[in-house]
Amino acid sequence: MLKEIKRLLKMHRIFIAQDLKKLMEYKVDFLTGMLGFIVYQTINLIFLWVIFSNIPALKGWTYEQIIFIYGFSLLPKGIDHLFFDQLWNVGYSYISRGDFDKYLTRPLNPLFTVIVERFQVDALGELIVGVALMASTVGSVSIQWSVLNVILFLLIVPFATLIYTGIKIITTAVAFWTKRSGQITHVFYLVNDFAKYPTTIYNDVIRNVITYIIPFAFTAFYPASYFLTGENPLFNLGGTVVAAAVLMTVGVLLWNKGMSVYESAGS
Amino acid sequence: MIYVDNITKEFKKTIKQPGLLGSFKSLFNPKTEKIKAVDGISFHVPKGEILGFIGPNGAGKSTVIKMLTGILTPSSGTCSIDGRIPQKDRKNYVREIGVVFGQRTQLWWDLPLTETYAVLKEIYEVEDSAYKRKMELLNEVLDLQDFIKSPVRTLSLGQRMRADIAASLLHSPKVLFLDEPTIGLDVVVKDNIRRAIAQINAEEKTTVILTTHDLSDIELLADRIVMIDKGRNVFDGTVGELKQNYGQMRELNFELQRAEDKALLDYGKHFGLGEDDLKVISDGVNVTVRFNSELVPVGDMLSYTLSQVHLSDISVKDADIEEIIRRLYKKEVRIDA
Repeated sequence: MLKEIKRLLKMHRIFIAQDLKKLMEYKVDFLTGMLGFIVYQTINLIFLWVIFSNIPALKGWTYEQIIFIYGFSLLPKGIDHLFFDQLWNVGYSYISRGDFDKYLTRPLNPLFTVIVERFQVDALGELIVGVALMASTVGSVSIQWSVLNVILFLLIVPFATLIYTGIKIITTAVAFWTKRSGQITHVFYLVNDFAKYPTTIYNDVIRNVITYIIPFAFTAFYPASYFLTGENPLFNLGGTVVAAAVLMTVGVLLWNKGMSVYESAGS
Repeated sequence: MIYVDNITKEFKKTIKQPGLLGSFKSLFNPKTEKIKAVDGISFHVPKGEILGFIGPNGAGKSTVIKMLTGILTPSSGTCSIDGRIPQKDRKNYVREIGVVFGQRTQLWWDLPLTETYAVLKEIYEVEDSAYKRKMELLNEVLDLQDFIKSPVRTLSLGQRMRADIAASLLHSPKVLFLDEPTIGLDVVVKDNIRRAIAQINAEEKTTVILTTHDLSDIELLADRIVMIDKGRNVFDGTVGELKQNYGQMRELNFELQRAEDKALLDYGKHFGLGEDDLKVISDGVNVTVRFNSELVPVGDMLSYTLSQVHLSDISVKDADIEEIIRRLYKKEVRIDA
């Protein structure tokens, strides 16, 4: 078991190295991607700033607190984007075109290989903006950075990341039956925009959807609100762990079932 | 070594009604039908054999190969290599096999070829010394050195195919699956690839299953042929047996001195041959006679022709595997397999 994990980690490092080498082949593409992301985030922030220059607080949350939540939301999203991005291609084309074949003829777990095969450096933009936003709120929000809270923070971000990854595995696995599911993943991802803001600003329907059905609220607002207020750790942090565990379990089971009905493509 | 036992594969196919409206209808009320792509195929391949696996387009060849390589799960029946079943023990199973799909590549598209080999070495956990030895051998038989440092996207089709075959052999598989390895290649590259396959087979005792539409691949490489059509076995035997069983049709070609002499030849009446066993095609002074050599010996055919007319040229053509297979595909020959 330990040997197997060691081997998988080694393969992960090798795949990352491959992608970094690829990056050197296509530098312009990489720089354009980064630039695009920074422009996109800047526009978002200007929008937030315009709103908050008129309203000093939103349902009890200050501008700085909302910036912290917004910044927090970019961490799991960015990490998932950085390491586990290949799933998009599987849903959009690999399964329908039969390119998924190659994962099945190698002595590595296909799901593992698919998940880690791509190292998406563009995502560094999200991570940098996310960390910068959170750092900018230091002093203006009251967070107790005790040892315990630092540890909880470092633990909860990976779980929040797995919520993204789990949802992506589930929606991608649907393609084994429908041949294509990139659009389904895309629709689910559109919902994550809601998670950047306090759920208290939404009506019941939206709040329940992003809490219990597509639990993106656990990737940002709930854990971030624990650090901001210190309230309800069981729900705010525990919910993130439970959501991640449930989604990953469902994802892996669905994926394995899906592989047995994979039809490849004629050649 | 490889046992395929009564394997079948059904695909569900949605019947789409034509037009946009029809697409909507089938979205909400899909009508599906089951299509049997493979319908009970069995064969056995002993260790070290090169098996030519042939059949017309859509016969189910690729589906069988994909089940044997663990990509598809059979609807029923089993296949095993060395007692291992791909769907049960996938990871250990695929270590024993190498796969090349001529129409696809498993190489890292954007990186130099060496990078692909370095990663495959890790994926298959090949020891350094074994890797070095293998690369030397593959370099020698497939001439990789000219392009091994080039990014894969810049390779020509012939180079890419050689690179893909090398990639599939890096971990010294016991069985090599080649699905149309010579498709779209020029004669020189085809020749290179055939020699490489023969050499690897001879040196490493690698069992090879080869699908192709180029029958020279089969004649030059295959010890045995399994032919399938519409998902069923049609023929299983050696190239010699194929010729013996279905190769009775011979061809006599000659050139008449005077075109009007044609009227003097009536093979059908003289030998009492029906339409199935005789075909005469003539174009000016050139005449081609295809006949069943089991019913009329070649000698009789020749002496009758020579006794009737004056010729300026004559030749007799042997049973040609390509002709036999064309006739089998077109159902001109009855099959009792």
